Amino acid sequence: MTVMSRAWGRLTLPGKVIFTAIPLLLALGVALALVVGILGGPIVELASQYGAVLRFLVAATIILVITIPTAFLIIFMEMKIIAFMNLRVGPDRVGPWGTLLSVVHGLKVLMKEDFTPSRADPLIFTLAPVVVYGSSVMTLVVLPFAPGLFAQDFNIGLLYFFAMGGLAVVGLLMAGWSSFNKYSLLGGLRSAAQMVSYEIPLTLSVAGLLLLAGTMSVNQLVANQSGWFTNWYVFQQPLGFLIFFIAVTAEANRTPFDLTEADSEIVAGFATEYSGMRFGFFFFAEYVNVFIVSAMTVALFFGGWNAPFPFPALAILLDPGSLGIWLLLGIAIVPLVGTLVLSLPFLLTRSAMPAWQAIVLGFVLFNVAVVGLLGVWAFVSFDWVAGLLWFLAKTYVFVFTFVWMRATLPRVRIDQLMGFAWKWLMPAALLNLFVTAGAILVVGR
Amino acid sequence: MDAALKRRLEARFGEGLQGPVRQRHDETEIRIAPAQVPDVLRTLHDDPDFHFQLLADLAGVDTGTAMQVVYHLWSTTTSDWLRVIADGLPREDPRVPSITFLWRGAEWMEREAYDMFGIIFEGNRDLRRIYMPADYTSFPLRKDFYLPDDAARSPGGGVRHMEQPQAPLAPGKTLVRRTRA
Amino acid sequence: MTTHASMDDPRVTLDEQLGSFEPIPPYPPRTEREHEFYTVADGEMLVNIGPHHPSTHGVLRVVMKLDGERVVDIDPVLGYLHRGVEKLCENADFHHTISYMDPLEYVSSLFCEWPAVMAYEKLLDIKVPRRAEYIRVLTGELNRISSHLLAMGFHALDLGGITPILYSFIERDEMVEMLASITGQRMLFNYFRIGGVNGDLNHEFMSRLGDWMGRATAQVEANQGLLNENEVFVRRNRGVGTIDSQTALKMCWTGPNLRATGVPFDIRRAHPYSVYPELDFDIPTRSEGDSLARYLLRIDEIKQSLRIIDQCLHQMPDGPVMAQVPRLMRPRPGRAFATVEGPRGQYSIYAVSDGTDQPFRFRIHDPSFLHLQSFTLLMPGQLLADWMTINASLDPIMGGIDK
Repeated sequence: MTVMSRAWGRLTLPGKVIFTAIPLLLALGVALALVVGILGGPIVELASQYGAVLRFLVAATIILVITIPTAFLIIFMEMKIIAFMNLRVGPDRVGPWGTLLSVVHGLKVLMKEDFTPSRADPLIFTLAPVVVYGSSVMTLVVLPFAPGLFAQDFNIGLLYFFAMGGLAVVGLLMAGWSSFNKYSLLGGLRSAAQMVSYEIPLTLSVAGLLLLAGTMSVNQLVANQSGWFTNWYVFQQPLGFLIFFIAVTAEANRTPFDLTEADSEIVAGFATEYSGMRFGFFFFAEYVNVFIVSAMTVALFFGGWNAPFPFPALAILLDPGSLGIWLLLGIAIVPLVGTLVLSLPFLLTRSAMPAWQAIVLGFVLFNVAVVGLLGVWAFVSFDWVAGLLWFLAKTYVFVFTFVWMRATLPRVRIDQLMGFAWKWLMPAALLNLFVTAGAILVVGR
Repeated sequence: MDAALKRRLEARFGEGLQGPVRQRHDETEIRIAPAQVPDVLRTLHDDPDFHFQLLADLAGVDTGTAMQVVYHLWSTTTSDWLRVIADGLPREDPRVPSITFLWRGAEWMEREAYDMFGIIFEGNRDLRRIYMPADYTSFPLRKDFYLPDDAARSPGGGVRHMEQPQAPLAPGKTLVRRTRA
Repeated sequence: MTTHASMDDPRVTLDEQLGSFEPIPPYPPRTEREHEFYTVADGEMLVNIGPHHPSTHGVLRVVMKLDGERVVDIDPVLGYLHRGVEKLCENADFHHTISYMDPLEYVSSLFCEWPAVMAYEKLLDIKVPRRAEYIRVLTGELNRISSHLLAMGFHALDLGGITPILYSFIERDEMVEMLASITGQRMLFNYFRIGGVNGDLNHEFMSRLGDWMGRATAQVEANQGLLNENEVFVRRNRGVGTIDSQTALKMCWTGPNLRATGVPFDIRRAHPYSVYPELDFDIPTRSEGDSLARYLLRIDEIKQSLRIIDQCLHQMPDGPVMAQVPRLMRPRPGRAFATVEGPRGQYSIYAVSDGTDQPFRFRIHDPSFLHLQSFTLLMPGQLLADWMTINASLDPIMGGIDK
């Protein structure tokens, strides 16, 4: 008993809280499970009645949750890739290869003091990060990750995307204006000018694509590009793709168009006065935006979830149901045999290693192999798994491109930025639109 | 040493100079009265014989008895540096005409001399302190500037302490122990 | 006076006055210029940049009068790094003053030591051994290259390019290590002595230098390829901060910044010192006078410096590296002016001796001081972002400016 009380005395206050919270949470979980078990029938009934609503709520929650690992991953990618491009090592302390550093960053901004400048406009100052983050999360709603894996399919999905993307500028302006700081004000005004200017070539650049597709539903647009990779819209709309990519870079405030938070000019732009998690929201929103614009580029021009070639239907070959009784036998025997077989190399070559260690290693390897095989099986059996993988792979190619540009390019000046949008991108987008329309008139869709 | 430059300087300014034209190593030196500064420097700048187009340095000097303003000039016509010393500014109210009409770049150097020595350059449009804060009242590079920290007491000199930390003397007494350079 | 509750602590009441920012200094304007600057017209605002701002190259502070993004007027404020080096030197032994020179221009320390020792050698009539002069030129040119590399890297960094600075630092680090092998320090070398240098070249230095010289040209070319062919970089620099040669002379400019306007003024040729008359090199000039010209000129200078180093290695004479110099120096009363061509322009020392062991007056002249002053000419009419370009291309080092 004394041992227990001594250990208890050594715990810090958060430790005590966590220590008591864990059993309580467990009890709560059990209680919940019991309640669900008893009331399960009526709940399912309700869910089937309001299926669409429930589906949307679940999807929205998932989307809100996955932004965090996505942002963490992209932040880590940016740190590490830029480090390699700069011939540096980059983060390597927290976790293997520093992979957990962005988690630590997240914890850091959570724990930092969150203060408001004394002359700031408190309401708008507090709301601004919410608006910015909200606008980028709401954009995710129309992204089709895979066949059937999307939050909501609008028939005006693309329009919604642009509208929500444009909402971010309101948040940035709010942040810039309410901070009572001249750097913030300049940053907010820059973002307003930049976003409003680049909205126009951005919207015009996909107009040609819409003429070709005849739909605004992103889901339908992606579905149109199935089959061989030559069906991707980038081959029919190369100019449109270029304009879209440039404009989208400006919309996401990425180098070389990151004037709103030009660190060497206006310190941090609209975010100068923010600290703690409010700054964290801006920071997260930026990286979520990178993901979103990459995903949208992929969805519109690079076939979205579609594989670059028609994938042969291997599902029948690997249908586990066809194995019959052998499946049960396999489940019983294969783990044992697999573990032993995989531990054999260690047993035979590493004489210094105890046998139990070799077997544990074999077991671990076996599990890895099983998970890999299951992945392959899921990949070929469920088209949403394959679609998600293709989609994410293509998206992260573009995320990499954004990071690459950040490592390579200096920043443009505000007049060059505006001049580029109005003098080059907009005429080019109009030209693209007219040429596409003419081609449709002559050739047909 | 450029003997031709010496002859030309003597021929051009002659009696206007205070003292002879001195030469040592690659430097030629003339001394003039503060009031002569604009005329002499303009002549040196514009006259094709001299054509001292480049102002290499402008420094204030406190000799302990008077203030000096020292100009260093460079010209393509000679291989020597020309040093023009505007000598004999009274320590109580050192005033000298500004040369910003010839070299606008002299503006900050004059500000620095004002900041450090209290020399007033008449005609400088922006004669305010440059290093010291706006509410600072004394002139640190003057020889009677009280230096109250340990830097002066350190045995670094090895031979003698230059300015012993001590309370400022009553007005009228002087802390200057050095002779005129 | 109105009050309101503090956002952070509701128990605290704040005066409206406390949080307000008055653009006018809390004292009556001292000069006409100050009055003119701090009189803000309708639609203009004052923006304070520095002294702790990412792109002020130290602790420079400037106050800008902005009309939107366009700069109407600018007022640099110095003194945040002022240490009174001149006063310190007037209270130190002649030998000791040299160590005060290093932290002035901390990226090109040798060029601050050099005029000081030259001035003392003039005061004392010391003849420096030829080998020492060659070593001074050799190490000095190495330091010039490292300083230019730093300037080019930070130029890109101020424009938002984060990679070139790190590529520059690979080469700079190599050079700094080289110099550390003979001077014992990576940054503040304290290597030149009155009458020579502190220590001869050693094996490590020579082998490192030999290795580096083999790949130096290729590395510099590779580095510049990253920026010179970068459309964004070139467009941000071309035509920004343009100054003509006559104005530059009036503003007392020297060094690469003056040569970028077309004036071939280089003290190594205009007023030769040390062994530069024996060495064969060109003085690159450019006529545009804008930020891009200043940047490109630094690259040309690096190539010329490589030529000089090559010649130094081939012509290096044998002999001592220090003259016979008394430990206690009491030069005759006199004045000496010594100046060298540094990576930023003309560094000069005006030393006055009164016959004691300490300089009577020790004047340090730094070129960046005068380049910085030209903001008032270059900035009006440019955009806020151009200030970073101009500041980076002028390459001021605040340690030298604030002394």
